[in-house]
Amino acid sequence: MTANHAVERTLGVGILGAGPVTQAIHLPSLARLRNLLTVRHIMDVDAAVAESVAARVGATHSTSIEALLGDPEVDVVAICSPHQFHAEQVIAACRAGKKAVLCEKPFVWNAEEAAEISAVSQETGVPIIVGAMHTFDPGWLAAEANWGDLPETAHTIRSSIVLPPNARFEDFATEIITRPASGTPDYTDAEVIKGMLRGGIMGLAIHDLPLVRRFTPDFALVEVLEARIVRPFGYIISLRTPTRTIELRAAMNNTWKPEWSFEAFSNDAAVRIDFTPSYVQAGSATATFSRAGETTVHGPFDHNGYEGEWRELTALAAGAKQPPSAQNLIDDLTFALDIAEATVAAVDADHNVGQPVREGAHA
Amino acid sequence: MSPQYTVHATPEARDAGAVDLAVASLPASFGPAEAGSAADGSAAAGSAADVAVLPGQPGWTAEAARAIDGGARGIVVVNPAPESVSDLLEAAETNGSAVVLDQRWASNPAVPGAEDAVRAMAGRAAVLDSVATAPAGTGSGELLADHLAAVVRLTGHLENLRVVASGAHGYTVSGRLANGAPAALQGVLSSARPAGVSISMLTDDGGVSVTLPDPLAAWPATVKATGPQGELLLPTLYESAHRATWRRLKEHLDAGTSPSDLHRFAALTASLSALS
Repeated sequence: MTANHAVERTLGVGILGAGPVTQAIHLPSLARLRNLLTVRHIMDVDAAVAESVAARVGATHSTSIEALLGDPEVDVVAICSPHQFHAEQVIAACRAGKKAVLCEKPFVWNAEEAAEISAVSQETGVPIIVGAMHTFDPGWLAAEANWGDLPETAHTIRSSIVLPPNARFEDFATEIITRPASGTPDYTDAEVIKGMLRGGIMGLAIHDLPLVRRFTPDFALVEVLEARIVRPFGYIISLRTPTRTIELRAAMNNTWKPEWSFEAFSNDAAVRIDFTPSYVQAGSATATFSRAGETTVHGPFDHNGYEGEWRELTALAAGAKQPPSAQNLIDDLTFALDIAEATVAAVDADHNVGQPVREGAHA
Repeated sequence: MSPQYTVHATPEARDAGAVDLAVASLPASFGPAEAGSAADGSAAAGSAADVAVLPGQPGWTAEAARAIDGGARGIVVVNPAPESVSDLLEAAETNGSAVVLDQRWASNPAVPGAEDAVRAMAGRAAVLDSVATAPAGTGSGELLADHLAAVVRLTGHLENLRVVASGAHGYTVSGRLANGAPAALQGVLSSARPAGVSISMLTDDGGVSVTLPDPLAAWPATVKATGPQGELLLPTLYESAHRATWRRLKEHLDAGTSPSDLHRFAALTASLSALS
């Protein structure tokens, strides 16, 4: 507790949910920001986990959201609980008069909830950001500052993710307790395939779908052309809008070699952004622009998008920045949901599981 | 010292295949049929040359067969367009002529090493993802032919090939590797980057990644094999696909052997026909 008193002018952080993401991502990120933020309260439904994780940072612990939101030491709240609790917890945090809220992705699971949250945010004046960490990555922000009209002129967009199991990077970041169990899926079961695709989109692709949407002005017209799974977990998904070709790739296997890239091409310019893996504090992405014989590189910078999120939250709580538009958050969510639902619907329409879904499944 | 084999190239082939440079870089092996340049287009030069170089525009197989009838012992075809090679195969076998194809990516000298690396892991492949880029304005069909030639050179036949999308800015083609793993080929038409192709095959614990550059310069391809112990970068070869083609031709001419180029091309043409 002595440490907390020594940094009384920092913002107090409360975290709802103390699973691997909190342990391996947020606590290490916050450890780099002790001049701005201090973890004051950890809540988890598992009392032992809450106590253990809170002890690491000298914070209070509890098993109820009311206890955390009622803690006057907590200025800003991070919602890292399972997604089905996000809506009620974000709304409760806003109503509790906190200064800002960070909600892990996926924000919520339907547009109605997103709209309700936005209304409460506007009513209470509490800014909300969603933990789409790549949108806060300094490498992405440097790209944004230099991409000119590429979001308007791009015709092809790619997101490619190759990752080892989360445990590899979690173990680089911390010492995890309460890691969820995993099993071997039954790839002959249509429900398993649909679950993998839905989970792939809402759990993995969702990291970069806000980036994709930024380059897709007609995102509301997205259409699923083909979706296939990659074993043991991953996907190949081909999308299009009237003006864009969008290809999504992901493979989670046992490799040690991660690759996480986003690319956009127009007729005469392209950008490639190579992100560092989640969980490790390996600095920012690197953005590389190519324009007919000229290559310019931005980054890497010394922190990643997770730290960027917390810096943004700090600025919002201090009133130093304008919160993101509610419509933006809703659009990011509905874009991901539309793709997930259209993909699953396409699998349903294709009774032959394991084959590509039929062309023309509209989101 | 006179070169071992004389060369006659049509003007189109000379430009497309950078024939002057390739021949000049193998001076003990190849030289122009007559004093002057390797591209002497005269009929006399053509009939006297050991090696005929042709552009691969439609109808190239008939041209090549005529060159063989005219006495050419070796044929180089630059950027061959898909078409039936059965008559040409027969002519080449009957006359003992060597026909080699100079393909922008599939003929890169790194390909044999890449093929070995890919085939060693293909049985365990989880996915194959490949992206080819070419300048804006290039025909999607033209790019796909070069792209597929490079991919199947490494992987062997792809099953269930299907065009998912195709348009002015590129294409997406899906297929399956022999073990059932999904394969995706994307073509992107953009002048932002140098043309080239990347091919990535992943297994459960590693994979192979290959990048093949255009033969405009002797940019080396990269071939990386990744496994639990780390990553191996195969030796970089500063040789263009053009020159590698000529070296292969010399080896076949010296040894009197027949290249497998036309057989491979027949399979490629069949795959492309199924796609169109």
